[in-house]
Amino acid sequence: MNPAAVGAPPRVRGLVARFDDLLGRRVSMRALALLRVLAGPVVLLHLQPFLSDSLHGRIYQDAFYEPYASWYPQLPGDVYVGVLWLGAAAALAMALGFLTRPATATTFVIVTYNLFLSTTHFHNNRAYLVIVLGLLAVAPCGRELSVDAWLRRRSGRPAGDLSAPGWPLWLLRFECAAIYGASGLSKLVDPDWFGGTVTWQRVGRARDQLEAWPLPDWVVSTLTDRSFHVAAAKFVVLTELFIAVGLWWRGSRYAAVWVAVAFHLGIQGSASVQVFSFLAISVLVIWAVPSTRDRVLRIDPTAGPHRRLGALVRALDWLARFRVEPARPGSRLEIVDRDGTKIGGAPAVAFTLSRLPLTAWFTLPVLLLPAVRRARRAG
Amino acid sequence: MVAVVVLQLGFVARGYWADHKEFAFQMFPESSTWRADVVRVTADGRRVPIELPWSGYRWDELVQDRGLRYPAIRHHADAGLDNQLAFLEAALAWVARNTPRDAETRYLEARVTSWHNADPPRVGVLRSPMRGAAR
Repeated sequence: MNPAAVGAPPRVRGLVARFDDLLGRRVSMRALALLRVLAGPVVLLHLQPFLSDSLHGRIYQDAFYEPYASWYPQLPGDVYVGVLWLGAAAALAMALGFLTRPATATTFVIVTYNLFLSTTHFHNNRAYLVIVLGLLAVAPCGRELSVDAWLRRRSGRPAGDLSAPGWPLWLLRFECAAIYGASGLSKLVDPDWFGGTVTWQRVGRARDQLEAWPLPDWVVSTLTDRSFHVAAAKFVVLTELFIAVGLWWRGSRYAAVWVAVAFHLGIQGSASVQVFSFLAISVLVIWAVPSTRDRVLRIDPTAGPHRRLGALVRALDWLARFRVEPARPGSRLEIVDRDGTKIGGAPAVAFTLSRLPLTAWFTLPVLLLPAVRRARRAG
Repeated sequence: MVAVVVLQLGFVARGYWADHKEFAFQMFPESSTWRADVVRVTADGRRVPIELPWSGYRWDELVQDRGLRYPAIRHHADAGLDNQLAFLEAALAWVARNTPRDAETRYLEARVTSWHNADPPRVGVLRSPMRGAAR
């Protein structure tokens, strides 16, 4: 138990013990392994403008910059450029899972160092990237979905433990929710934001761009109408707050993830946010229940559609949520959920696709259809 | 873990008063806009717009980031007006410090017009520190 709690009242000691237990509980690192793979390209995308400038002989010191602190080490130009390229190489190694731990730590250190070189480097998406990389660096997330794991298998060594204490995952969940919460709260308490002035003015100033799109006039008129934004701004704020809160409960989690993806796609289409959309959508994988292969997909290997679904699941089940098992010839397609619920036929297909990262966003709404709901209840 | 949570919440709270809102995650905070007439004030009192190159320097090469490249054009303050003006003030100071071939400028001055969301415009003046090299 935490030494600080030893002298505390029993009720407090109990709470601290439960908290300690939660932090130390071993859970699957699969979601963090997948996030590591996805974060590599995000880092490359983030470093791209810095690397592009370096290829043209420019670095941040050639124009206005503002160090956070005079003592912060500024590297000579050539060394700085070398460090950036090392960061890119490390990000690639991190994504591939080659020397995963040092590669991820190197990526984190270099991205963080670069961020704090100048106040002008700071953007919210980069801060989020630093947080994600920091937590990936401390989590043992290289034991699967990695070249390291493949080399281990190839050399005949036993696979590493795929579970680990869950605190990095819980901390990243907190950070993820905090970002939506902080953003939503700042808008909620700002009368100009919550009242619609901010969005109305922003859209109004982009009216020329709106009119260049193939949109009907009434759409443009509505989008630039102040009264529309009185309601729309509240919708935006409540959406952010819903994501921040909804992610924490299983009953609302899928809806929150679905809304978050739609929200980021909307932002990506309407604003310049660097790597924020890619990163934020990638991070959503951490909200999957951290256990693996606890759902069973039973397929008839002699039936073409079953085989195709089985192949699809094997290819796209990046979070390792399913065991695909053969059933007797002539059996219907069946899913056994982790609570033992059985679903068959078309609802089983919809359910399966709703649990795969790449197809979930498209198929989650299908689960709301009465036929699918009935099938899940009946199971 | 508790320390990180407290630190994060501290950063979120700090975002409500700091010019630079690191880790506060206040996205698209304002629709505010701004523009500025930036001049070099020389030792003999002339006020020369920075749109004119001087001593081999060009403002748009010296200041390229954070929407400060063409200050005379009205821009959106991406991360809020306070943040934007803090950057402009820092840019004036940086240019004053990093233009050693310029022997005539005493300081740089920006006459800033800013529109906080839908509020009426406000006018303010920002100045760089006095340069020692001006004759």
